[in-house]
Amino acid sequence: MNVLKSLFLILLFISSQPSLSQLRIEITGGAEDPINIAVVPIDWKLELPQEEYLHEIIKTDLESFGEFKVLPPKGMLSFPSTEEEVFYRDWRLLNIDYLVVGHANKSEIEGELKISYFIFDIARERVIHKAIMSGSIKSIRRVAHKMSDKIYKKIQGIPGIFSTRLAYIDKPSADDKNFNLRISDIDGFNGVSLFSSPQPIMSPNWSPLGDKVAYVSFEEGTSRIFIQTISTGTRSGIKLEKGINSSPNWSPKGDKLAAVLSKEGNPDIFLYDLKREIWGQITEHFGIDTEPDWSPDGKSLLFTSNRSGSPQIYQVNVRSKRVKRLTFEGTYNARARYSPDGKSIVFVHRRDGVFHIATQKIRSGKVRILTDTFLDESPTISPNGNVVIYATKRKDEDILAGITIDGKTKFILPSLRGEVREPAWSPILD
Amino acid sequence: MTLIRKSLLISLSFFIAACGSISNERVSDASAVSASASGAYSDQGITSNNVLYFAYDKSDVNSEGRTKIRNLAKIINKEGLNVRIEGHCDERGTREYNLALGENRAKTVAELLVINGVSSSKISTVSYGEEKPAASGSNENSWSQNRRALIKTF
Repeated sequence: MNVLKSLFLILLFISSQPSLSQLRIEITGGAEDPINIAVVPIDWKLELPQEEYLHEIIKTDLESFGEFKVLPPKGMLSFPSTEEEVFYRDWRLLNIDYLVVGHANKSEIEGELKISYFIFDIARERVIHKAIMSGSIKSIRRVAHKMSDKIYKKIQGIPGIFSTRLAYIDKPSADDKNFNLRISDIDGFNGVSLFSSPQPIMSPNWSPLGDKVAYVSFEEGTSRIFIQTISTGTRSGIKLEKGINSSPNWSPKGDKLAAVLSKEGNPDIFLYDLKREIWGQITEHFGIDTEPDWSPDGKSLLFTSNRSGSPQIYQVNVRSKRVKRLTFEGTYNARARYSPDGKSIVFVHRRDGVFHIATQKIRSGKVRILTDTFLDESPTISPNGNVVIYATKRKDEDILAGITIDGKTKFILPSLRGEVREPAWSPILD
Repeated sequence: MTLIRKSLLISLSFFIAACGSISNERVSDASAVSASASGAYSDQGITSNNVLYFAYDKSDVNSEGRTKIRNLAKIINKEGLNVRIEGHCDERGTREYNLALGENRAKTVAELLVINGVSSSKISTVSYGEEKPAASGSNENSWSQNRRALIKTF
């Protein structure tokens, strides 16, 4: 049995190459004291050949943001797959803090598998989680990401974001004359074009349940907001008004879109009631008001306005329409997004002519610059508030990059095809 | 079942639950369907394509631009043409804010055409912000080519 297992594991080391769609590489930096975790290759008890290796996907996930150091199989002294087979000493010797073991079996449901897995706290010598995760065999990457989420949540205490998705725009290239709105898994796999057009597409924004995306399309010769259902591809334009129709931003309850209309003579923030299909005005000022973002409690909006002379971030109470200025440092602060706890904002800040992504606790007014790249824009925050992905340039090409909110881990998502921009992080998806 | 047996069973099930019974987790499939643009706008039927350039962050027209507009206005009125003015920006700054700046440029040009006698009912304006640059490259040479308004007549 042991010889077979070793042979099997040797094959694993040679293992599957990441598909062409893998986005994430070039992690620079990381936490000073990462958590040591070991994920034993899941014992595959199905007759079907194993095309994806769960432990590899989980390893890549957990190491994405420098918080974990995952022991590779070649460093392991034993390969347990059940609770009874775990010898805590084997893992203490390797300085492992947490251990994940499991086995995969065929499910009674056609085309599905069941993975029984356990998470162990090595120092305390006990199981901290055990579950049976089930899902379809063709979605095995998704199953692995859900396991990563569970492991992350049990250890870090906040939700994992490994089964979230990223929406982004890619611009025409030699291979494709169209702009495309794409979504992919957060690790870059399973990229698919949601919408394709010869005219520009902008400002993708996810619905709170992650089932729809709102975006701006110029297909009719002017900016118009569209809503598309991801699973069906059905799309419809919302009530078109004269001038700019842009910057859609879904309310937390999913019943309204904040957006920008310039029909009153200059861009202002409006709300679109999705059920009643009517527009209501929120800000009224002769300057430019744009880039709204809903607070997590649904009571206020962030927006960019040049009413004081140059772009700054403001907050407006949706009911009272009272406006409060939030940023006071520098002459260009724009495109703000709330953190999931509503206490800070992430935005574009220009200093000495260079555009960076910065963060500020709403109360304090103190700006902390996060990025050291150039021409940074379109920050999007992970639903657990831990990571920011943004658009930037490298050698004159549009790429996406990311940084943890503590600034310690930086990474680049090199583009697949053409140049990519305007990332939008999905909510946590079921 | 006797009362003692019942309560034993109940406390036993609580005990098992407290010890951490295996939870069941389900992963659903995620599918997506693609769509493509309907009502695709194209530039066909556009007779001329005049360009005016702008300084960074500004929407005012220089004297060369004013001359262009004056001359164009004459032709437009003479031939009864329609006008579509597109405002564009260079890539610096945020995309949506640039959409607003582009509109300022298009509107400024429209106002100048009206001052020069073109009927406002013949004029439409649209902003593309930084989305349709004329030149790629992150340098002033490219940027200056992108800060523009296009006057399209048809």
